[in-house]
Amino acid sequence: MATLSIKGVRKSFGSVEVLHNIDLELEDGGFLVLLGPSGCGKSTLLSIIAGLEPSSGGDVVIGERTVNDIHPKDRNIAMVFQSYALYPTMSVRRNIGFGLEMRRVDTSSREDAIGRAADLLQISHLLDRKPGQLSGGQRQRVAMGRAIVRNPDLFLFDEPLSNLDAKLRVEMRTEIKRLHDRLGTSVVYVTHDQVEAMTLGTKVAVMKGGVIQQLADPQTIYEQPANMFVAGFIGSPTMNFLNGTLENQDGKLVLHHGEETLELSGVAKGASAYVGKKVVAGIRPETFSKGAGPSALTGIVDVVEPTGPDTMVVLDVGGQMISARLGSRERPHPGEPMTLSVDTTALNLFDPETGDRI
Amino acid sequence: MTSNPQSIMASSRPLSTWDRINPARYIGELSETRFWMYLLLLPSALLIMGVVIYPTLYGFQLSFREMRLNRPDLGTDWVLLKHYQRMLSDQIFWISLRNTAVWVTAAVTIEFSVGLIAALALNRNLPGTKVLAVFILLPFFLPNVVAGHMWALMLDPRLGVINDLLVKVGLLGGYKAWFADPSTAMAAAIIVEAWHSFPFFTLLLLAGLKGIPTDLYKAADIDGAGSISQLRLITLPMLKTVIAAAVILRVIGLVNSPDLLLILTSGGPGRSTQVLSLYAFQTAYKDFNFGYAGALSVIMFILLMMFAWVYVRLSKVNQD
Amino acid sequence: MAVARSRSKLVLDIGSYVVLIFLAFICIAPIVWTFLTSIKLEEDIVTRNMIYIPTRITFEHYVNLWNQSGYPVLVVNSLITTSVTVLICMLTGTIAAYSFSRFHFRGRTQLMLAYLIVRMFPAVLMIVPLFIVMRQVGLLDSSIGLAIAYTSFLLPLFVWMLKGFFDAAPKELESAARIDGTTRLGAMFRIVIPIARNGLLATAVFVGIAAWNEYLFALMLTTSQGSRTWPVGLQLMVGEFQLPWGMLAAGGIISILPVIVLFAFVQRAMVAGITAGAVKG
Ligand SMILES: Nc1ncnc2c1ncn2[C@@H]1O[C@H](COP(=O)(O)OP(=O)(O)OP(=O)(O)O)[C@@H](O)[C@H]1O
Ligand SMILES: [Mg+2]
Repeated sequence: MATLSIKGVRKSFGSVEVLHNIDLELEDGGFLVLLGPSGCGKSTLLSIIAGLEPSSGGDVVIGERTVNDIHPKDRNIAMVFQSYALYPTMSVRRNIGFGLEMRRVDTSSREDAIGRAADLLQISHLLDRKPGQLSGGQRQRVAMGRAIVRNPDLFLFDEPLSNLDAKLRVEMRTEIKRLHDRLGTSVVYVTHDQVEAMTLGTKVAVMKGGVIQQLADPQTIYEQPANMFVAGFIGSPTMNFLNGTLENQDGKLVLHHGEETLELSGVAKGASAYVGKKVVAGIRPETFSKGAGPSALTGIVDVVEPTGPDTMVVLDVGGQMISARLGSRERPHPGEPMTLSVDTTALNLFDPETGDRI
Repeated sequence: MTSNPQSIMASSRPLSTWDRINPARYIGELSETRFWMYLLLLPSALLIMGVVIYPTLYGFQLSFREMRLNRPDLGTDWVLLKHYQRMLSDQIFWISLRNTAVWVTAAVTIEFSVGLIAALALNRNLPGTKVLAVFILLPFFLPNVVAGHMWALMLDPRLGVINDLLVKVGLLGGYKAWFADPSTAMAAAIIVEAWHSFPFFTLLLLAGLKGIPTDLYKAADIDGAGSISQLRLITLPMLKTVIAAAVILRVIGLVNSPDLLLILTSGGPGRSTQVLSLYAFQTAYKDFNFGYAGALSVIMFILLMMFAWVYVRLSKVNQD
Repeated sequence: MAVARSRSKLVLDIGSYVVLIFLAFICIAPIVWTFLTSIKLEEDIVTRNMIYIPTRITFEHYVNLWNQSGYPVLVVNSLITTSVTVLICMLTGTIAAYSFSRFHFRGRTQLMLAYLIVRMFPAVLMIVPLFIVMRQVGLLDSSIGLAIAYTSFLLPLFVWMLKGFFDAAPKELESAARIDGTTRLGAMFRIVIPIARNGLLATAVFVGIAAWNEYLFALMLTTSQGSRTWPVGLQLMVGEFQLPWGMLAAGGIISILPVIVLFAFVQRAMVAGITAGAVKG
């Protein structure tokens, strides 16, 4: 168990810099999720933490040690790969025990450790098979077994669940959470599934183009996204971005969007500096409710999608499409006019120029 | 998990003396350095330098020198372009050049056609054809010497079975000395070469065919394209790079190695099967005129490079 | 429409069988005929009326070949040369193929191309200098010298073919092994090479067959019984006039027997390797 801190790490392939000055801190026993679109450099960062790739600058500190020049084998970390990377020529038992074998742990304590890990993951009956004879979910468990058996300081996961079907993915997600609660080892976990990020992480780092956009706990990331990219990346359906002008009306801040006027209460303090200027309001679909109010939007119902627990409604508000999550009882018809009121305490304002939150 | 980290790590055995002096440990350390990939390449690169690059450069400079093993009196002086000048007026050189063109063109054409047909048929994956595939690929792995003798035996003017069969079906009046007749020697040699090497094309084209997604054919079926148009519109274009690679490799082989002709005819009768590589080899092996042999090889190499360049260019242009 | 299509499919199926059976026949007929010749009596080989299926069988050609012509020595020489060639390729080529397959370093593509292009160099252009150099260092007319000469065209081939097999083993396996506690060296020997072992075997067999079959270099670089290989020896049996067909046939059959057996054994892996190397190149 250990802390992890990454200080000013950069990485270039040839003349292309894919990681720009990355700073991260993870507390002992924490669960850090790296979230971001494909190609943003998540795997590269993970490889640098593992020592598989040299960085082009900056420091990686695990626990008290700066590990820049330490071989992967001596960093005392464990990694689970997207493709699992099980050694196809070896039995499951040997796969799990390989790390201990390489560290010259004697056979009996090795067997003990393998047995315990296998019990924990419920794969004891598979120990004598070859990886080729396992299902996807079983391979996933073996890969986890190989990681936990060594009691590393740090676990690294690179999209470990992305090769599983939807149901299994949810199951394994819970399993990983349970394991983390039980073992208490620090984890760095790469994914581009935001649900995984929100459910697993004690901290989430959202990356884009080799830059960390925001590093915070999941709640903060969701409720106070640092910029429009983070806001749009997290949440499904995505946050609505409503363009408008901020004005001071009778001592209250209001947002004008075409015909509509939203009364803003409980919005960030910095907002008053933007009076008279264009801003973007970010409104989560679930903050809408049916009915009029001081902050309400009226439009024509465009599409209605009942999902079971909720009904998703797409509303045409003066040409801009707004999606709202309403209760399952609501069944408006396309073409009808509809008014939705907005919970403005959960609303975020963004600077349209920089995209940053106000 | 209940085990604590120390219990496992504590049971790790300490390094023994052997571990400390074990060379594998040092190489292991080396393998984590930045130049490991170059170290891995070093032995083979040195070897190739020694047995390919150096001899080739040596051969290149030989082509500008006098070097006759059986005439030490002539010395080994620089003679500049003497050998190349001699080539211009050397009848045998020009005959060899023409024969090489015939030999390569005919052999590649036949080998490619037969190889493609075999690959297409094998790619249908009909039951039982796996065994046939083994038979069909076998000739490519047989030695030139044995391939040559097997055919020489079958085409023998006195006891050749092919002669006998042809006479029996009435295609031939009497036994024929295929390799002794200047008008048939080249053709017979090309048949033997085609038999020996068409599987090379089958092999590569089959691999190429396997790489074409079957969806393409299904789509074409739905669009109503017949087998011939599917071949013309899907198969051949998709195989373009494989075909280019196979043709170039085969041409290199045909131009560079005189083995089969050396065994079958030694260039005879007369000069009717004399090709450049054979001429160069005999100049070296029989006349021990290394300088001239070097010059002939250099010309061969230049012609090959030109061919490969033009061919790659053309097949790239066609692709666009 | 559907009927027409299934009929044309049937026609193509039948056509495929006809073509394949015909080609397979053409391919093995010479081998079968040579074998039949090798077990015929001398007077049944040279005869007015062609004897297709021998009625009398003899192994005297094999016995004569073995006893009289020094064939065993030739075979032993070939075995030594072949083994040394394969050994050199395995020792130097395996790690080179691994390097090409695993690392992306500056100059990699050019270097790989160079390994390919050396095959364009005419054999004669190399043989002459090799002859001179080998004579200088005393390796002329020796099995070792010949084997070293063979690596000039077989080592690049070996590297290209084996690289295809290494490419098939995912890179993440090595990362996993390095995290599990091996060095890169350990990951190579404990993980990647064991995975590619079939490919390594197939590649080695392919190179072995090529070395076993080789004629031209052997003709030029060996001059005496001490190191002469069987293809050269067999060719030397061809007299000017009277050809000892029975013995030639017997020699041919003996020599290709190991090739056929090995080919049958590793055929599939080898085919995969050749095509992987060639197609990607
Ligand atoms: N060996 C390499 N050489 C050159 N560029 C590379 C190399 N490896 C990765 N890259 C580039 O670095 C960037 C980041 O790659 P990385 O694999 O870290 O992305 P990722 O965030 O893990 O994406 P994904 O979610 O698709 O796995 C990409 O643009 C990629 O093209
Ligand atoms: Mg990735």
